Amino acid sequence: MDSAPAKRRKLNHKKDATDVALESAASTGVSRSRAFVLETEELLDSVRLDYGAALEGADDLLHRIKGVVEGIKAHEPLPVAEAAFKLEKKHKIKVPFPDPRPQENTNYKVAFAKPAQFNVVGSYVSKTMITTQKSHGVDMVLVLPQEILQEKDYLALRYFYKRAYYLAVIAAALQKELGSEAQLSYEQLNGNHLCPVLAIQPTASNSRDLDKKTLDYRIRIIPCAPDGFFPKAKLHLGASLIRKGREGVANASTEPTPFYTSTLVAETCFLSYLKVLKQAEKKCAAFKNACILGRIWLQQRGFGGDISQGGFGHFEWAVLLALLLQGGESKGQAALSASLSSTQLFKALIQFLSVTNFAEKPCDFGSGNADLEALLEHGPILYDSTRQLNIAFKMGPWSAALLHQHARWTRSLLADSTADQFNPIFILKTDVPSHSYDLIARINLDKASEETGADARGQTWQLSTKVYRILKRALADKEMGQRARLIHIQAQARPTWPLTEEPKAPETSPLEIGILFDPVNMARTVDRGPSAGPSAQEKEECERFRRFWSDKSELRRFERDTIRETLIWTSTTPFDLCEEIMRYVLGLHLRIGQLHDEITVYGNGLPALLSLKPADTALFNVAKKAFGTLERDIRDLEDLPLRASGKWPESLVAIQRTKIAFLLMIGRLLESSKPTEIKTHVGLEDAKYETENLAFLDVLYESGPSFRLRIHSDLEESLLERQVKDKTAEQYLRQRATTLLATFRRLYTNLPLHGQYISTSGTRFPALSPTIRLVKHWFNAHKLSYHFTEEFIELAVLHVFLTPYPWDAPTSASTGFHRTLLFLAHWDWRSEPLVLDTSGEMSAAERSSIATRLEAWRKIDPNMNHTVLFVATAQEPSGVAWTTLDGQPKPSKVVATRMTALARTATRLVRVQGVELDCRMLFVPSLKDYDVLIHLNSKAVKSTLKTYATIDPQEEGESLGRPTKFKNLDERTGLEPLPLAQHPAELFLEHLSAAYGGPLVFFRGGVEDSTIGAIWNPQMQKRTFKINLPTSYKPVAGEKRSSGGEDGDGEEDYVEVNKEAILSEIARIGADLIDKIEVKGA
Amino acid sequence: MPSVPAIIGDFSVLPVTVPPLPSFPKNVVHYLYVRRNNPKIPTATDARSLFLTNVPVDSTEVHLRALFASLVGAGRFESATFEDERKDAHSQSHSPIDVAHPAHVARPQQAHSKKRKREDEEVERARGEEAATRLPSTWTRPLRRSGSTAVVLLADEKSVEQVLKAIAKTHKTKKYPTWGDDNLPQGKVSPLGSVWLKAHNRLSYPDRQRLQASVDAFSALFARREQEAAEIAKRLRNEPDEDGFVTVTRGGRAAPASRTEAEEAKRKMLEKQEKKKEELTNFYRFQLRERKKAEQAELLKKFEDDRRKLEALRVKRGKFVPES
Repeated sequence: MDSAPAKRRKLNHKKDATDVALESAASTGVSRSRAFVLETEELLDSVRLDYGAALEGADDLLHRIKGVVEGIKAHEPLPVAEAAFKLEKKHKIKVPFPDPRPQENTNYKVAFAKPAQFNVVGSYVSKTMITTQKSHGVDMVLVLPQEILQEKDYLALRYFYKRAYYLAVIAAALQKELGSEAQLSYEQLNGNHLCPVLAIQPTASNSRDLDKKTLDYRIRIIPCAPDGFFPKAKLHLGASLIRKGREGVANASTEPTPFYTSTLVAETCFLSYLKVLKQAEKKCAAFKNACILGRIWLQQRGFGGDISQGGFGHFEWAVLLALLLQGGESKGQAALSASLSSTQLFKALIQFLSVTNFAEKPCDFGSGNADLEALLEHGPILYDSTRQLNIAFKMGPWSAALLHQHARWTRSLLADSTADQFNPIFILKTDVPSHSYDLIARINLDKASEETGADARGQTWQLSTKVYRILKRALADKEMGQRARLIHIQAQARPTWPLTEEPKAPETSPLEIGILFDPVNMARTVDRGPSAGPSAQEKEECERFRRFWSDKSELRRFERDTIRETLIWTSTTPFDLCEEIMRYVLGLHLRIGQLHDEITVYGNGLPALLSLKPADTALFNVAKKAFGTLERDIRDLEDLPLRASGKWPESLVAIQRTKIAFLLMIGRLLESSKPTEIKTHVGLEDAKYETENLAFLDVLYESGPSFRLRIHSDLEESLLERQVKDKTAEQYLRQRATTLLATFRRLYTNLPLHGQYISTSGTRFPALSPTIRLVKHWFNAHKLSYHFTEEFIELAVLHVFLTPYPWDAPTSASTGFHRTLLFLAHWDWRSEPLVLDTSGEMSAAERSSIATRLEAWRKIDPNMNHTVLFVATAQEPSGVAWTTLDGQPKPSKVVATRMTALARTATRLVRVQGVELDCRMLFVPSLKDYDVLIHLNSKAVKSTLKTYATIDPQEEGESLGRPTKFKNLDERTGLEPLPLAQHPAELFLEHLSAAYGGPLVFFRGGVEDSTIGAIWNPQMQKRTFKINLPTSYKPVAGEKRSSGGEDGDGEEDYVEVNKEAILSEIARIGADLIDKIEVKGA
Repeated sequence: MPSVPAIIGDFSVLPVTVPPLPSFPKNVVHYLYVRRNNPKIPTATDARSLFLTNVPVDSTEVHLRALFASLVGAGRFESATFEDERKDAHSQSHSPIDVAHPAHVARPQQAHSKKRKREDEEVERARGEEAATRLPSTWTRPLRRSGSTAVVLLADEKSVEQVLKAIAKTHKTKKYPTWGDDNLPQGKVSPLGSVWLKAHNRLSYPDRQRLQASVDAFSALFARREQEAAEIAKRLRNEPDEDGFVTVTRGGRAAPASRTEAEEAKRKMLEKQEKKKEELTNFYRFQLRERKKAEQAELLKKFEDDRRKLEALRVKRGKFVPES
C-alpha cells in the first residue's frame, strides 16, 4: 500500500526540522500511555530514598558488627542441650530453637566458628528501598562455616537447630558490645518460624532526632548455609525430610515436606540470588526502577515477603523479573528484553502475573519438571530449576489467587486508556478488607489443634489450608456456578520477641477470611448438584457430593425429569446465604463454630441499616408496573393528539397555556375513561415567569400509585434556543432563557435518558441499586441531600461501578458504599471532571473536550460561583445538568467541600477501625458543626400534609380544638385530600434559602429529617452601609465613621449582620412549624 | 445596650422591637433604614413618599401601615410598594404575550402617530383582557428577600416630615414601635407557618372551571393578537419603509413564512454543504498528507499538554506519594 511512487519520493526530500521532531516524538513510544510514564517517573523521584542521609551510620554499624562477630571465640562441638544451657547461664540469652525443640537427650552437637562469609544483601545494596516502606531493614547474611555442619543436617530440623544456636551466640556477643546503643531482639525471617534472625535497632540518639531525614532502620543478622553444601539430589521439592513426629516417634508416612525443603534451599541460595539480581541490574538499566514500582504496587495491595502478607514481596518480584530477563521462553530465550523501560517492565510483569496462576498450574523456569503438578496441593509453585527453589513457597493458594486477581484487575486498568491509571495502581491503598471483600469472617479458636502436620509450617497454616479447601469446595464449585470469586485468608503476623525469652509457642491466632461474591450466583438459594443417574460415574459423583455436604444434600426432581442431588438454603440475601453455607461446612468438617464466638461475621452492618431486602425488588416492580398501566391508559385515550405536533403556537407563553389546556383535557379524559379508579388534579407550579412550565397533572389511582405528568413540547426548546442566541435581546432575558433552557433539557431530555440508563445498569450490576440507596442515606444522614440532586448521587455511585479500578465492579452494597465514599474522598473536583462513559464508546476526544470545558469554566469562574461539580456522561456532555439548578450551583463550593471532608473522615474511620467498625457511626450527623439548628415540629409538619379543596386552612386552623373535628370525618363526608404539590418542609426550606441566600447556608437530609442545620456565611459579617443590603443588618454602635477624618467623603458607617433579627424572622415564618431555634454557644 | 446611631448616611435608623416567640424566646430589635424617596427617574409622587431599606422578610402593606400609624397616627399612610413588586411591574410592561411578530412590526406602529389615542384606549382594554388570562396566585402572602427595600407613599409632604421627626424621637425616648402580627387588625393578614403552607397547597390545585376559563380567555386573546400580527406583516409586504425600501418576505399569498420554516430551510442547506464536504475528504492526496501532519501536531500538542498538567500536579504536593 505504501509503495511510494516517484513523485512522492521527491516530496520526501524536503524534510525540515519540525518533521524530524514530529517523527521522533511519534516513534519514542509517546502514545496514550505517556501520561502514565511521566507520572511514574515523578513517583520514582518522590519515593526515592536518600541513602546517605536516611541510613546514615548503617555502614559503620555493619562494619562494627562484622568485627565483633569475627572476634567471637570458636568452640568445640557440645551437645545441643548443654550448649544452650551454658549460653543461657552465661548471657541470659535463650536459643531461638524452632518448634519442635530438640530433645533433651539428643546427641547432636553444636559448635561455633567464624562465619565463612559476610555479605550485605537485599534492597539495601540494590538501593531499591523507598521512603514509604513500613520498615526499613538492612540485611546482613553470615554464611555458616562448613566445619560446624554435617551433610546430613538437612534432615529433621538439625540444620535449623544449629543455625539457631549460632545466632544466639552472635546475639550474646553483640549485646555485650553494643549495650544500650541498640535494641536487640529476635524475629522470624518472613514469618517463617524455622528461621529466626537477629534484629538490631539502633537507639535513636539526640543528634539523629534533630535530623528528620534519618529513618528508623534496623539491621537484621541472617545466618545461612553455604551454597551447595547439602546434596542437591536430596532436596528436590517432593522430598520428605522430616520423618519424625513431635514426640520422637518415627513417622511412618513419607509425606513430602515442600515447605521445609524450600526453606532449606532458600537458606543456601542467598548469595546466588544476590548474584542473579546483580546481573539483572547490570544487564538492564531499568531493572531497579521496575523493582521499586513493583514494591509500591505490592505494598499498596498489602503484599509482602512475610508469610502473613502473602509471601510475595519485593524479593520475589525482583527475582521473578530477573528470571524473565534471563529466560522464561520455551527455548530458554529471555522473555523480556533488557532494553525495556521501567514502566514497560512493570506492565510486562503484571501481564505475566495476570496470565499465570501458579496456584493452579506450576510455573517452571528451566527444564520441565513433570512431578511438580502433584505437589500443587501443598501450595502454589513458581519453580526456579537452576537453584531448585520454589520461589512461591511462602505463599498459600489464597494469596496466589489474590495476586493473580490483582494482576488481572491492574491489567484491565492498563488496557483502559481512558481511565486514570496511575492513581489506582500506585497511590491508592487497597488492602482495607471492607473495601475489598463482601463478607469478612473471623475464626477465633481457643483450643489449639493437635496436629502440626509433617511440613513444619505451624498450626495456623494447617488450619488455614483446611478452611480454604473446604470453603473453596463449598463456595467456588464450578459445576454449580461459583458463588465466590475470591476467598482470601489472612493470618496475623508474628511479633518480634526479646532475646531472653523463648519464641512464643505458635498459638492459633485469629484467622480473617475475606470473600468476594459473584452477586448473581451468591443469591442462589437452591444448589443443583450432580444428577443421580444409573451410571457408575454418576453414582460416584453423587457419593462424593453427599460425602461433602452430608445431610444437607437431598434428591429433588427438576424439569425435564432430571433428578439431582440438591442443596436448599433458607437464607435470602447473598450475604446471609454465604454466612449460612460457611457456618454449615466449617461446622460439619472442622467442628468450628460449635462455640458461640468462634466465627464472627462482618460486612452486613450497612445493608442492615436500611433493612434492604431482596423482596424490595418486587415493590419496585409494582411501581414499574403501575407506570406501565398509566402509559397504557393514556395511550388508550381517544382523540388525544399525542404526537409531536406542528401546531404549537410560536410563543413560549402561549405554549405554557396550551399545556394547561392539554392537561385539563387529559385529566378529564382519564377520569371519564376509568371513573372509579382514577382521580386527577391539575396543579400549578410555583413558577416565577409566564414562560416557565406552569402546571402539572397529578393522576391518582385508587389502588395507590400516583403520577405527576408534565407536557413536553419540542417547539419550546427551539424557541428558548432562539432567545438564548438572540443578541439583540436584553441580557437579563437571555440569562433567563438560558436557565429555562437548562431546566427544559434536564427535565425532558436528560432525565428520561438518565432514568433509563440507571435502571439498565441496575440489572447489569445487582449491587448498584442497594448501593445507591445506601449512599443516598448517607447524604441524608449528613444533611447534605438538600444540596444535591439525586441524579448526581446516582452517577457518583455508578462511576464506582463503571470505573472500579483498582478492583472490579463492587459485588455488594457494602463494598459499593465504601468505595463510593473512597471515591468522594479522593475526587479533586476543583480540577477533575467526573466522566462516565455511559455509551461504552466514548472517544478520547470527547473526554478531552469535557476536560477542556471544565478548564474553561474554572477560568471564567475561578471562585466557583456558578459551576462547582462537573459531571459529564456520554449523553450529557455539558457536565452541569445535575450539578446546577436554576442557574445556581448545586451543591455550592462550601457544601461540596463539606461533602469531601465528611467522606474523608468516613474513609479514615473505616481504615482505622477495620472490620470492627460499627457502621452506624458513619451515619451520625455532627450537629455541633452548625451555628444554628432549627428543630421542626414534626406533628405540625405532618398536619400540613393533608389539605382539602373545600376547607380553608385558615378557618380550619381557627376551628382546631372544637369537637367537630373527628378522625373519621374524611370517610363520612367523602372528602378526599388534595395531592401534595411539594413537601411542606421542603417548601419552607426553599423559601428560607431564597430569603437568606446570602447570610445562611441551610442543611437538611431526607423527607423525615426534622432538624435543619444552618451555618452563617463568614464572608458576610461587618461591612459598610449601602442601600442594597444583602440581608438584615444592624448599625454598629460606637464604630461610626471610623475611617473618616480629614475629608468628609471618607466617612463610613459600619453595620453588621443582625443575626437575632434574622432568626426571629425565621421563627415568625415557621410559626407553629418550628419547635425551637437553637443557637450554638447560646 | 450601647446607644444606636440615629442616622446612617442619609438614612434615619428606625429600630423596631420584635416580641419573643415560643420557638425563639428573645427580645429582638430589627432596624429599618428610612429616607426621602429620590429615585433616578423621578415620578410625581416622590415628594410624599419614603424609601425604606432592610424591611423585614414577612412585611406586608398591612404591617407597614400599622408601623406608620404607631409613629404618626392613622390616616397618613397611603400604600407601599415592595422591591419584588416593582420588578414585576417592570417585567409586565413587556407584554407577556410575545406573539411571534416579525421584527419590524413595532416601527410602523410608532410611525402612525395619529392613531396614538386610539391605541391608548386599546391598551387599556387589553389590560383588562390580560387580567382575565392571569392564573390564580398560589400564595396567600409573599415573603421578601432579606434586606430588601420598599417605597411607602404617604398622604402628603408634611407627613414625610412628621415621620422622620417621629423616628428621631424614638431614639430619644427609647420607645421603639413593635413589629408583629399580634398588633395588627384581625383577619387582615393571613398567618404564616403551617396554615400558610397548607393554603399554598390548596391554592396550587385551583378549581378546574376557573383554570379552564383563564386558559380560554388567553387563547382568545392570543388568537386575536396573532391575527393582528399577521395582518400587519401582510400589509408590510407592499409598503415601503421610511427609507423607501420594501421588505421582501417569503411566503404565499395567505401568510408570510414562519420562522420555523426558515430555520428548517437553513438546516437543510447546511446539511447539504456538510454532505458535499464529507464526500470530498480524503479524496486528494494532499488532504491525506495534511491530515497526517495535523495528527502528528496533535500528538505533539497532547504530549506538551500532559507535561504541563503534570507540572500542575507537581505543584500540588503529595500527589505522587503512595498512601500509607
